[in-house]
Amino acid sequence: MKGQFKLTIEEIQHALEQRRYICDRSLATIVYLSMVMGKPVLLEGEAGVGKTEVAKVLADVLNTTLIRLQCYEGLDSNTALYEWNYPKQILRIKQYEVQRGSGEMVVPEIFTEEYLIRRPLLEAIQRDGELPPVLLIDEIDRADVEFEAFLLEVLSDFQITIPELGTIRAQKPPYVVLTSNRTREIHDALKRRCLYHWIDYPSFEKEYAIVTAKVPEIQGFLVKQICSLVQRLRLMDFYKRPGVAETLDWASALVAMNRHELSKEAIDDTLGCIFKYREDIERFHTEIASKTLDLDPILSPDATF
Amino acid sequence: MQRSDGFLINLVAFGRVLQKAGIQTSLGRMIDAARALEFVNIWSRPDFHIALRSNLVSRKEDIPLFDRVFDSFWLEGHLPELSPRFPQGFEQPGIGFSVDSSSITLTSDDTPRPDSLGSFAYSPVEVLNKKDFSQMKFEDSAAIRRAILLLARKIATRVGRRRKPDGKTEEIDLRRTMRRSLKYGGDILEFQSRKRKLKKTRIILLCDVSGSMECYSRFLIQFMFGLQNELWGVDTFVFSTSLTRITSLIRSKAITAALEKVSQQALDWSGGTNIGRSLQVFNRDFAPALVDHRTIVILISDGWECGDLNLLDQEMKRLKSRCSKMLWLNPLLGDKNYEPLCKGMQTVLPYLDYFLPAHNVESLINMARTLEQVAT
Repeated sequence: MKGQFKLTIEEIQHALEQRRYICDRSLATIVYLSMVMGKPVLLEGEAGVGKTEVAKVLADVLNTTLIRLQCYEGLDSNTALYEWNYPKQILRIKQYEVQRGSGEMVVPEIFTEEYLIRRPLLEAIQRDGELPPVLLIDEIDRADVEFEAFLLEVLSDFQITIPELGTIRAQKPPYVVLTSNRTREIHDALKRRCLYHWIDYPSFEKEYAIVTAKVPEIQGFLVKQICSLVQRLRLMDFYKRPGVAETLDWASALVAMNRHELSKEAIDDTLGCIFKYREDIERFHTEIASKTLDLDPILSPDATF
Repeated sequence: MQRSDGFLINLVAFGRVLQKAGIQTSLGRMIDAARALEFVNIWSRPDFHIALRSNLVSRKEDIPLFDRVFDSFWLEGHLPELSPRFPQGFEQPGIGFSVDSSSITLTSDDTPRPDSLGSFAYSPVEVLNKKDFSQMKFEDSAAIRRAILLLARKIATRVGRRRKPDGKTEEIDLRRTMRRSLKYGGDILEFQSRKRKLKKTRIILLCDVSGSMECYSRFLIQFMFGLQNELWGVDTFVFSTSLTRITSLIRSKAITAALEKVSQQALDWSGGTNIGRSLQVFNRDFAPALVDHRTIVILISDGWECGDLNLLDQEMKRLKSRCSKMLWLNPLLGDKNYEPLCKGMQTVLPYLDYFLPAHNVESLINMARTLEQVAT
């Protein structure tokens, strides 16, 4: 058991916040539990709520490496685990042939670690630093079920068998963070091995804190306008509702345009930061036109939030 | 940290209450939850709460229910260790463990809903009504068949992203070619090729043949017949108040002969509808063998349910977790004024991948297009 882990829940939350990742105590608790229990974290939530960011910031807090595996359909063990460097092996054989006139004695020597290409999972297991790395398995819902089953095997005992080399076991199991956008349900067997957490859209106060932390040069009034509008939009029925990532993009864009408060024109110019689908932009305009979405309370210079 | 037995008993009792409330817990999860509690300060309620929840829940939908059960079980203000609420049942093995359900407040989402009885006239009584389908004329059957064929191809022949070795195709498998060439000292003497694996998709067709669907029965029959005979791996079932497998009955090239066979079976055509119970039977008796993560389940029904909606919800959830995609074809959806408001339809909507109209040939062709766009 990894009982020697030193940080407390408060320290984790504080350290994350220092790196401008605003999180509530429950997420900090789960990160803490994952470390002391050696259990992977499974983070689910809408796109753009900062799931991937958790792993990145965590690696920074622990001052260790982040190893990332981006999942996609058809991802297989050759891309995730290891592959032999065939061109290099062939060149090696050719070299021997030239030097000795025969390629015979070569075969056992080309299946060594020198000719092994390490893919993320092997790298995470083999890494022997002071601290184990953070392994981010991103968007696991995009991988297919075959890969999920394979991952289950790797995550359960953190060892990998390469027929030509033998079994490689992790000295210190990596800290594992899995993320999913829930385009499909992850299999129960994999879920059971993880600590589960759903990251929701942030509250107004939390989002205000996030924007102020991430875009420090922005003015307070504008942040309040942005956040209350985004919060309002999230209650509506858009195909892709804006996440925190969109709020931050939008805030940066407005700052870059030297805006200190929202106006109808400013919103129109920057709508592409909030909505990523043409239908959503059209819908936004119709909602404004039909007065179901009223911007005036937010745009008024003496608006209170 | 040492914990008293009383505390563990409470934890196990909590697990049972969760189970009763509908959240699946397992021994492994309970052990992990207990382990997690060794690392947090259990006197801090939020930490205690999240330590249990992250181990015991792994679906977003279960979170609100978990929170409510948690709140009523671990009473506010009572320290977990000091509130042994169910000691008797555990000290005397053999005595059934009962939970005081009145202490758990569930909101309207969870309370059993009264059965919906729509204004449509349909009999909840099973009417065993033999229909002579062989008398039917199928004048537009060719158009329908073409549409079904198109649809069937779209559903079934989705090209997978994984590749497999293959001797014939042009695409060179570099990895295997290199690997093979090592035995010739690195000279590439033979090329290995590969191709994309075709995904084999199994289809389960569940057809509502109750009274409210009667006017679509001719279409239904053609649909079932067409799909069954055009595709590999289709299994067809019909249901109203009970479920019948008719795969072997309609596996035939001659539609009239097949219809005769179907109508000879004492099927409860045009009776009431109990989708929940039919699905329960399907999940229990057929799903383990027929449904896996590649299976597409197609339900054809108008969603007028006269059975228990909670049962329907539970069985839909089960089926959904087992299969790849769930399609619901609703003939009523073709009507512009139709909204899926009836309780049965409301219950199943969250579990569907596609909710599509199926009332004429055009809607079938559109459906094929939809599937083509999404299945990439």
